[in-house]
Amino acid sequence: MTKRMVLPVLSAAAIAYALYLALVSSPDVFQGDFVRIMYVHVPSSWLAFLAFGVTALGSALWLWRRTIVWDRIAESSAEIGVVFTALSILTGAIWGEPVWGTYWDWGDARMASTALMLFVYLGYLALRRATPDPVSRAKRSSILGLIAVVQVPLVYFSVTFWRTLHQGQTVRPDGIQMDGSMVAALLGGLAAFTLLYLALMTERVRLARIEDENALSDSVAAGAGITAPDLDGIT
Amino acid sequence: MTAGAAGFWTQAIAIAKRDLMVETRGGEVLGVVLPFAAVAVFVVPLATDALATRLDQLAYPVFWLVGLLFSMQVALRQTGTESLTQRRTLALLGMDPAARFTGRSLAAAALTTAVLIVIAPLTILFYDPDEIPAVGPSLLAIIGFALGLSMLSTLAGDVTVGLRTRSSLAPLIVAPVSVPLLIGASQTLEALIRDRSTMAPALLLTVTVLSLAVTGVLTAPALEEATT
Repeated sequence: MTKRMVLPVLSAAAIAYALYLALVSSPDVFQGDFVRIMYVHVPSSWLAFLAFGVTALGSALWLWRRTIVWDRIAESSAEIGVVFTALSILTGAIWGEPVWGTYWDWGDARMASTALMLFVYLGYLALRRATPDPVSRAKRSSILGLIAVVQVPLVYFSVTFWRTLHQGQTVRPDGIQMDGSMVAALLGGLAAFTLLYLALMTERVRLARIEDENALSDSVAAGAGITAPDLDGIT
Repeated sequence: MTAGAAGFWTQAIAIAKRDLMVETRGGEVLGVVLPFAAVAVFVVPLATDALATRLDQLAYPVFWLVGLLFSMQVALRQTGTESLTQRRTLALLGMDPAARFTGRSLAAAALTTAVLIVIAPLTILFYDPDEIPAVGPSLLAIIGFALGLSMLSTLAGDVTVGLRTRSSLAPLIVAPVSVPLLIGASQTLEALIRDRSTMAPALLLTVTVLSLAVTGVLTAPALEEATT
């Protein structure tokens, strides 16, 4: 097994074990087996928060150190965060239908704020796509990456600020309000998703480096014979 | 007097005056955006079944929706966009980037408030809501909303300046982030109508506006560097 395969293999094994823990854990008194969706939904949300936090950290470090690797980390983490956020919204909707009787409730602060967070980071990625020059892209998106992260505490504390349909925090400073097997399945899911995040990050950062290298070699190959299109359109 | 020697507020007011003067000459907001916003307020009832739909219940949602969309147009208007040469000249003159952000936001807020103040009576006229909130506190909520949205749009406009997709990209950045402003302002009006405490929504609006002001001022130097 090559060194590159270690994290993907580890994360696949961890996901398989987390799935086992999720299936053998106790059903909920009120929700029955539907509670098992939680073992995907909650880790997805937590990993989305972590991913956007890493984006903000990468943005801040790029502004400070001006090393391109931090920009690559910020971009990669935002992309993965968007995937985890979408997964969280999707599993939340699937869970909501049998438990609350609806896929979506506009009055629920957690749902609405999570959807907003997704749109904010889609905007961040759209900004990156729209800026061809790597340095200009890094400068602009690092500022937005720092601004966008305010959505994370807003989403996390939304269930505390607004008492709506969504349940309050299960993991609190005074302890976890759950059965032991459920805690194990939840922590197993969290560990597996964290490994998956690390595996995806490693590959995405590597891909970003290859993209940058290819962009440079294209311009070298084209030389002065071809004028690059003015995609920036700066007047 | 050089721009470098001038104080923060002198510079900010000079920039705001310049933007308002450009608007006076160009008339983009008053001549284009405002009539378009009025048409939007007028068009919604035409798209509904007038007999089956209670338009009075749509009054405030339509006001805030039209207000949000057209306020973004005001802040991101073409005539209010500085060229690269203008931005570089201001930077070379020693203009404080934070003062520039403040001035541009203030000018956009004044124009946005004007648009909202015009579409408010139009909404009341066309939709005939049962209850109308007190004018004074409502005006404060509208000004807070306009100020916050202008700062946010100025930030988004600066982040996307010079990009070909700016006109669609900047609203994509502004719209989701503006939601706390929208909730704060609309719920303040709702609380005034229902005779409830306005403390929570007004606090949300104030905190969001202050957070945007701090963010805008702190990120202004980095933004200037990114776009000049």
